[in-house]
Amino acid sequence: MAVHQGTLIKQGAEARVYIAPFCGRKAIVKERFAKAYRHPALDKKLTSRRVTQEARCLNRCQKALIDTPTVYMVDVASSLIYMELIDGLSVREYMETDEGSTQAARTHIAEEIGRALGKMHNIDVVHGDLTTSNLLMRNNDSKSVVLIDFGLSYVSNLVEDKAVDLYVLERAFSSTHPNTEVMFEQILASYGTSCKASKQILKKLEEVRLRGRKRSMLG
Amino acid sequence: MESFPIEAVPEAGLVHIACYTGVNNASALKERLQAQDKTLAIGLVESNLILDMFQLLVAATKAALDERAGKLRTNSVNAEIVYNLSPTNNIAESLRRFGISDSTTSLMAISIGGEAAAVLEEMNKTVDGTLTSFSDLEQGTDLATLRKYFKIDPKVTDKAQVLDWIIGAMAMKNVL
Ligand SMILES: Nc1ncnc2c1ncn2[C@@H]1O[C@H](COP(=O)(O)OP(=O)(O)OP(=O)(O)O)[C@@H](O)[C@H]1O
Ligand SMILES: [Mg+2]
Repeated sequence: MAVHQGTLIKQGAEARVYIAPFCGRKAIVKERFAKAYRHPALDKKLTSRRVTQEARCLNRCQKALIDTPTVYMVDVASSLIYMELIDGLSVREYMETDEGSTQAARTHIAEEIGRALGKMHNIDVVHGDLTTSNLLMRNNDSKSVVLIDFGLSYVSNLVEDKAVDLYVLERAFSSTHPNTEVMFEQILASYGTSCKASKQILKKLEEVRLRGRKRSMLG
Repeated sequence: MESFPIEAVPEAGLVHIACYTGVNNASALKERLQAQDKTLAIGLVESNLILDMFQLLVAATKAALDERAGKLRTNSVNAEIVYNLSPTNNIAESLRRFGISDSTTSLMAISIGGEAAAVLEEMNKTVDGTLTSFSDLEQGTDLATLRKYFKIDPKVTDKAQVLDWIIGAMAMKNVL
């Protein structure tokens, strides 16, 4: 089903993202669709579960005062989430600008990301797809980092799950942004002061890294 | 009265919203609503719980969407708008809190579809009060009650954030 007056801004393998008018505002409409190769009835079920899961995690974060887009409306039958349109670049894009390449900007972003992830893990939300494209920078004085794309998120209190979440981001950082090891350390330092169980999680992160290294040695 | 498109459900037509102060017949209107009087095809909302027009437009859009899907939880699309304003799934409580009461003196009348002039005439005939604009009502938002109903975190203080919290809770109320 097409989104009325929607402009497609991203066509992915499992979701389409539109900008469309909603109650007088410009909003983001995220439409999830089933992968064609699955069983149709099962597809529908899995798709709607992911839509509700995504909306629920976004709302759980909002209630914990973590900067996320406000969910405006969920149309489960059509697999649509209407949400706040964040004005700003992704962290990925921002880091490629002149301003975003400065030491001061990077320190600020790192602190913001660490704090946001620490608070998110405090409420047992595991993001599941942390990349610098799924972090936006609000284009206002706060320059707050906004967490988006909770399509693979779930609720878990396991140290392992949270450590893997950080590891996914670390890998995304090193593959998209060369020479950012120091910045990632700043993220972890900020995470350390915001997340209650950070000691255990960061220790587990060491283990996860080792496993990752072994796996890549095996090819 | 103002009329707005329902972008997400365009075939529903426009949503018409009129604000009234100095209302004299709230208890009579409430009685008609309770008797499910079909000739009263207007939603009536306690205006001091509306922080921003967006709140009412989102409630109306959800009602139009659920009507199209044949999934109204209340007995009419107008009651559904009032119900959608509340964060809980308790229908009676939602209607009591966000609908009008005997002591209501300022309210918002809302209706989906139809032609603006005819709708306004119907609203003016129904509500015994003075037609006014939303900006003239806004002063009277009962934030303390909204905070209580929505369990808004005390750290959330600015108006835009309060509104975000309310909208988020409305959006999630029937998402299993
Ligand atoms: N609320 C928003 N405000 C502004 N831009 C957004 C918002 N949500 C998404 N976008 C933009 O659309 C892009 C794709 O959105 P998103 O990451 O949610 O989908 P996806 O990666 O296709 O989804 P998934 O990984 O769940 O299949 C984002 O990288 C961002 O540029
Ligand atoms: Mg994404």
